[in-house]
Amino acid sequence: MAAIQTTGLTKRYGKSILAVDDLDLTVEEGEVFGFLGPNGAGKSTTINMLLDFVRPTEGSATVLGLDAQADTDEIRHRIGVLPEGASVYDRLTAREHLEWVIDTKDVDDDPDALLEKVGLTSDDGDRPAGDYSKGMAQRLGFGMALAGDPDLLILDEPSSGLDPAGMQEMREIISNEADRGTTVFFSSHILGEVEAVCDRIGIMNEGRLVATGTLDDLQGELDLGAPITLEVATVPETLALDELAGVRSVTVEDATITATCADPSVKVDVVRHVAEVTTVRDIVSEDVSLEQLFNTYTNGERDEGAATPEASA
Amino acid sequence: MSTVDVAKKDFLDVRRAKIVWFVGAFYTLFMVLLVYFGQNGRSDPTILGALWNLTAIGAMFIPLIALVTAYLAIAGERESGGIKYLLSIPNSRRDVVLGKFATRTAIVSASIVVAFLVGGVLTLLWYPSPEMDTFGIMAALTVLYALTYVAVAIAISAATASRSRAMGGSIAFFFITSVLNVFGPLQLAIDYVLNDLAGLEVSMNQIAFVQSLVSPTAAYVNSTGLAFPEGFNTIPPDLPWFLQGETMLVVMLAWLVVPLALGIWQFERADLG
Repeated sequence: MAAIQTTGLTKRYGKSILAVDDLDLTVEEGEVFGFLGPNGAGKSTTINMLLDFVRPTEGSATVLGLDAQADTDEIRHRIGVLPEGASVYDRLTAREHLEWVIDTKDVDDDPDALLEKVGLTSDDGDRPAGDYSKGMAQRLGFGMALAGDPDLLILDEPSSGLDPAGMQEMREIISNEADRGTTVFFSSHILGEVEAVCDRIGIMNEGRLVATGTLDDLQGELDLGAPITLEVATVPETLALDELAGVRSVTVEDATITATCADPSVKVDVVRHVAEVTTVRDIVSEDVSLEQLFNTYTNGERDEGAATPEASA
Repeated sequence: MSTVDVAKKDFLDVRRAKIVWFVGAFYTLFMVLLVYFGQNGRSDPTILGALWNLTAIGAMFIPLIALVTAYLAIAGERESGGIKYLLSIPNSRRDVVLGKFATRTAIVSASIVVAFLVGGVLTLLWYPSPEMDTFGIMAALTVLYALTYVAVAIAISAATASRSRAMGGSIAFFFITSVLNVFGPLQLAIDYVLNDLAGLEVSMNQIAFVQSLVSPTAAYVNSTGLAFPEGFNTIPPDLPWFLQGETMLVVMLAWLVVPLALGIWQFERADLG
């Protein structure tokens, strides 16, 4: 059973705005799924439809095999949600927030254990949330999402408001939850955090899902090539590197040679070839970064005619 | 029952809002002043006069207490996004509306009951004939009256997406049904529409009934016949059945149920983006 499945999910606002366009998305049980896209791509609208905050114009969605609109009560018992841009209650303390969620979900978590899990101290727990920084409020929201050991975590932009250390902690908590078998679905416009924790990613752009798959799948699908950079003592006049089989392009800048290879296995040929004609000082071999992938998908750099890659695992 | 969970949290939250206690205290102060000046310097004071004045002032002041306490209950959370926390855990939208209504009802009722208790004690101390029957019935009618406006404010709050619209809606409703009612134009407008435009030739009593249907304030004022002795002050004798206090109670109960039902209906179909 899929943790999340949408079929032809569409949301129109008025006649002209198509926020989500015919979305078919499947998130398998137990995986960490990163839902990527620039602001306004339709990520939040999709999540709002999964949570029954917003009703689809067409199509349907299931969460944990339950109908997203008809079975909200059972769904809300079994999931944890960190909504985007939601303010906590200024006049309630963190502990009161957590006790309220625990009561409503009818579970028996210890508020202090939850506070500790998200990096808030017991003293923080007794202060009204109105005194919190944005990062602390976000941590509290995360603690509320974790109450009741949910089967599925839906996190809308979980890192917003957090500093780099907080983002790192957030990633660790997500990994820990995933290790315990929790499915995690989170949206982000920050690429780095997705790369580090996700099993699979989906990229939204202008209301459409333009790609899904593992990072490797997407890289293979896009065929962006594998770059290698060599730092050399002197650049020889007759390099002729682009004549080497499997090398697509070569750029030379001062003492730095960058070659893009059709396949990573060609990189060793590049190194050998350059080493024969000059002294190699350093070698930097990179994967295609997610950022490059992302830009390719969202800026329309790909051929318009190409079909949406269906590289699902 | 998650209505109870919504209510418990909301009560915890709203009891720390100072404005709510401020208007409640203000009403109590009114009560004390009226009870005091009702007997001050008079040889044979009667509490009925003071209560009558309280009704006149309360006709416009009670809706304000109710609206201030309730108009942001849902719209405020929609604007701040807190509604997403409420609805991410096992609460239905109906739970949210009913839970909010329950807490705001409790708070408004509490402040009115406190005001009447304080007024009651002072009346027992200062008046030779305290008329506790009238006192008790007036307290009950006033609470019911306040709740009609709480229900309307909750309904407006449920049907609007922002604080400013909830405020605009509440002020408009207050102005038409309370202010225009107390100062007369509402009655003139009904008379004009029914008699001059539609030519129905309805009587003044029938106009008063229509007025009670469209304005909880009018229903409240007309219901006070239940509390005061027959023919007291401007209460006319021999009222037709549709202007009797009992009928007004039914009208006020309808003002409680119908707005809530409409509010739930609106809120359940809203997109909370």
